[in-house]
Amino acid sequence: MQPVLSLNGISKSYGRIHALKNVSFDVPEGAVFGLLGPNGSGKTTMLSIILDILKADTGSFAWFGLPGAPETRQRIGSLLETPNFYHYLSAVDNLTITSAISSRGNAEDIDRVLEIVKLSERKKSKFSTYSLGMKQRLAIGAALLGDPQVLVFDEPTNGLDPVGIAEIRELIKVLAKRGKTIIMASHLLDEVEKVCTHVAILKRGHLLTAGEVDIVLANEDIVEVSSNNLDQLLSVLEKFPGHTHIKQDGKLVQLFLPVGTARLEEINRFCFEKGITLNLLLVKKKSLETKFLELTND
Amino acid sequence: MLPLLKIEWLKIKKYPAFWWMLAIVGLTYPGVNGMTYYGYLKATTGKEITNNLAKMFLGNPFAFPETWHSVAYFSSFFILLPSILVIMLVTNEYTFRTHRQNIIDGWSRAQFITSKLFDVLIVSAIVTIVYFIVAAGFGVYADSTLTHQWTKQLQYIPLFFLQTLAQLSIAFMLGYLIKKAFIALGIFLFYYLVIENIAVGYARFKLNDIGRFLPFEISDRLIPPPVFFSRFGKDAKASYDHALSLIPGHVIYTILLTAATWLICYAVHKKRDL
Repeated sequence: MQPVLSLNGISKSYGRIHALKNVSFDVPEGAVFGLLGPNGSGKTTMLSIILDILKADTGSFAWFGLPGAPETRQRIGSLLETPNFYHYLSAVDNLTITSAISSRGNAEDIDRVLEIVKLSERKKSKFSTYSLGMKQRLAIGAALLGDPQVLVFDEPTNGLDPVGIAEIRELIKVLAKRGKTIIMASHLLDEVEKVCTHVAILKRGHLLTAGEVDIVLANEDIVEVSSNNLDQLLSVLEKFPGHTHIKQDGKLVQLFLPVGTARLEEINRFCFEKGITLNLLLVKKKSLETKFLELTND
Repeated sequence: MLPLLKIEWLKIKKYPAFWWMLAIVGLTYPGVNGMTYYGYLKATTGKEITNNLAKMFLGNPFAFPETWHSVAYFSSFFILLPSILVIMLVTNEYTFRTHRQNIIDGWSRAQFITSKLFDVLIVSAIVTIVYFIVAAGFGVYADSTLTHQWTKQLQYIPLFFLQTLAQLSIAFMLGYLIKKAFIALGIFLFYYLVIENIAVGYARFKLNDIGRFLPFEISDRLIPPPVFFSRFGKDAKASYDHALSLIPGHVIYTILLTAATWLICYAVHKKRDL
């Protein structure tokens, strides 16, 4: 299947600063693609290049197999960096302009997206009177106009309150379920972990890794166990066959095993036979945060 | 093209500064021409023989058809007013970062500049309409017995439009390249009011009037000082005729300069990071 977006050796410098160095990856259709990286790692630069705001020094990209062009951008709903609207115009007027430029949506659709982002009551108010969160919602609404197949969100939950963040997360899940391809940059790892199917990690312009979340994260299985006597538990588990290492984490013991070899019943039986009753036993996926820190730490 | 025009008109008509500009132009054009007219009336009404002489020599500069020329000349001093609006319209795009959003949403970079060209065309057309109404109004008011002559000298309407378009295009380019409204306005004002006037004045006496090829002077020469300015002095008639004879050439220079102005903007925008 043809990827929705494919990047091929993209590099970009600002003077002596290399913002992106030879970045290549594909975004498959229907993916929720998380783009991660610390501040200044090149996430927004990358999104700006694929949206034709910045020119890459070298390399190329293709949307739907075609080089970037106004027609391809019209098919993509995008929110890049900040909500960009005419301050003296109302939400409806601003979206009318978005709709006219992108050929996405119409008057009814404008009402529909304002309903989704909960701005219907303030739709006639000037953009300049909006709070930060409302501005962000309007930008998300603009991206949703015309129900595009592909969405690009740069830090979509910026400025939103906890309820707003949860709502946007739900919205992204619903969109993903409907088969939309979503490319999302974020430094909120928790957020990405909850919704993304794929992930790419950038650091100082280098692509560290890219691929399906499960594959990127899971290079080992972690089993968390606990019992009343931790010392005894530790010494028993030392003898458990096949583990790579053991770590004590507060009142828990973490047992690391090669990918796909964690079998809870075996561990349970092993401990019980050695006279230990467990009060906790679960497989823990490595969190994205752990992986991220592992990859981005020097 | 039509959708582009519609989008720009939506941006302009809801922009409060546009209505302020229109109101100020709507007051300034009749105001400045009215003052000149009042000066003319003062010089020509009276029993003194000089008054009658003045009337005979001057003709009525605000009656048809001379009103088209006189009002164009005096109104064109106030290009500054619509220039502020034009500079604001382009620097707003940077302030609101909509110059990026418009591209993200699906305009080509060329379409963005075309949309701004429409802004300048719309403002030029509206200013020309105000000029037309004011000039026609003075024509009827100053001497209603001459209204049958209204079709003469109508060429000053397109000349006024061209001059406005050319000078607003330069204002646009400054705003477009400099990005900051106040700096662009400052440079515009300082150059337009001070530097170029000095340069043109100097060149007139020392450099064979080469100053007429400076950016604003090129189009200033489209509308030379009206005839009643020149009925004094020995060589005045000759210099007035000379100024008139230069107009066709300056029409071409102005069109070339304006085309070049926009081509620069298109070329820069094609390459530049937004």
